[in-house]
Amino acid sequence: MSLDYVKFSGGFEKFMPKEYRDMVEHGPFGKKISVSQMGSFKEILEEHPMCAGCAMTLFIRLAIIAFPNPEDTITVGTAGCGRLAISQAAIPFVYGNYGDQNGVASGLSRGLRLRFGDKPKDVVVMAGDGGTADIGFQQVLHSWFRKERFTTIMLDNEVYGNTGGQESGMTNRGAVLKMAPLGKKFEKMDMLQMAKVAGCAYVATVVPNNPRRVESVIKKAVLIAREVGSTYIQAYTSCNIEYAIPTDKVMEDAKTVENDRYQFTEYVSDEAKQYLTERYGYKDYLPKAAAPAAAIPNKT
Amino acid sequence: MYLVANIDVEICASKSCKLCTQYCPEANTIQYSEAMGTDRGFKYGTAYIAVDRCKGCALCVWVCDTMAKNNAIKMIMIDQLPLAAVTDNIRYEEKTTVAVLSNPMIVIGN
Ligand SMILES: Cc1ncc(C[n+]2csc(CCOP(=O)(O)OP(=O)(O)O)c2C)c(N)n1
Ligand code: SF4
Ligand code: SF4
Ligand code: SF4
Repeated sequence: MSLDYVKFSGGFEKFMPKEYRDMVEHGPFGKKISVSQMGSFKEILEEHPMCAGCAMTLFIRLAIIAFPNPEDTITVGTAGCGRLAISQAAIPFVYGNYGDQNGVASGLSRGLRLRFGDKPKDVVVMAGDGGTADIGFQQVLHSWFRKERFTTIMLDNEVYGNTGGQESGMTNRGAVLKMAPLGKKFEKMDMLQMAKVAGCAYVATVVPNNPRRVESVIKKAVLIAREVGSTYIQAYTSCNIEYAIPTDKVMEDAKTVENDRYQFTEYVSDEAKQYLTERYGYKDYLPKAAAPAAAIPNKT
Repeated sequence: MYLVANIDVEICASKSCKLCTQYCPEANTIQYSEAMGTDRGFKYGTAYIAVDRCKGCALCVWVCDTMAKNNAIKMIMIDQLPLAAVTDNIRYEEKTTVAVLSNPMIVIGN
């Protein structure tokens, strides 16, 4: 949990695999890395068994690059496809039982604060829509009501992908899946509204066909969670297997779904706006020059 | 045999937009090299594939054809590839990578 853990132990350098040496010498630890440099530095996500062309894989790859301090970040996951990749990155990963990820993350983030004081240690939960909105729902909501300071990311593929296609609360009404052959009878859950009601300081929707936006949203969510409160990102990360999307059309699907029901939305509480502006120099939330002094800062 | 992506260096280096590097779902797979483009007289470098990591999804083909409008990427059977990059032969430098191309079938076979 510091730059020290990505150094070689004395004398071991020549025995380490190439991937490890590349990561120590050319990885993102301790540097400011951005998606525009992709392909030119060693990423800390390694090979993993997620399906070819999976949009969730791409999102996880982008999210890990966007972590503001990867060397001080712990990810928390649960059953579902995403953990197959998240666990293969060179940052600590905690795997709880299915659905208890936000409970585990609550304890972890509190413990880290006791141990390290004000030194930021970021906790980021990444779990599927089933893990977040169904099985983990109670722990997710309670962590938000308690204003636990960590980031929750829903990898929303609108299905239980890892277990072969059951409907989840986040599946759209009418969707026919392998194990929901009659079509879903209920509406997709509005987790965004619930996050706001429960008091999250930052709530955003994002689709991985815009890597820079993914980067910006993740950075803000992680920074706000350091001090202000819970943050929630809901990412559309299609399952090409269960929704039978040809892999070369996965980004086309992401674009269609973005235009249809997954437009970019971002809610930032006033406290979070002030914090981002004062602490991290964000300019987006300053009052517009032409606006009268008393105007509420615009959200952009 | 299976398909992997192959980037035509000449076509890519004429544009060198780096879009595909941001869209491949796999990490450390579409890499970028300054030298591979500038050595051939282009202003910028080129993207190329570490074929041992490529899962053959062709998502990058869509990105290059539709978003970059440059048609530089084609899917090719791995044993039909010309010389290609594999992870073991890629070196990282300050802002770029350097790849020594080889016959992937021999390298991966080893
Ligand atoms: C307590 C418990 N019940 C059931 C399972 C089996 N299980 C593993 S993954 C999964 C579904 C995952 O769906 P989701 O959370 O939407 O993630 P996805 O795989 O779609 O990314 C289930 C039911 C489990 N691991 N633990
Ligand atoms: S089953 Fe679906 S969500 Fe899971 S890795 Fe495969 S494509 Fe991705
Ligand atoms: S998208 Fe096409 S033109 Fe752009 S870097 Fe990739 S291969 Fe080159
Ligand atoms: S085919 Fe898929 S895995 Fe291979 S380089 Fe292209 S996007 Fe990456």
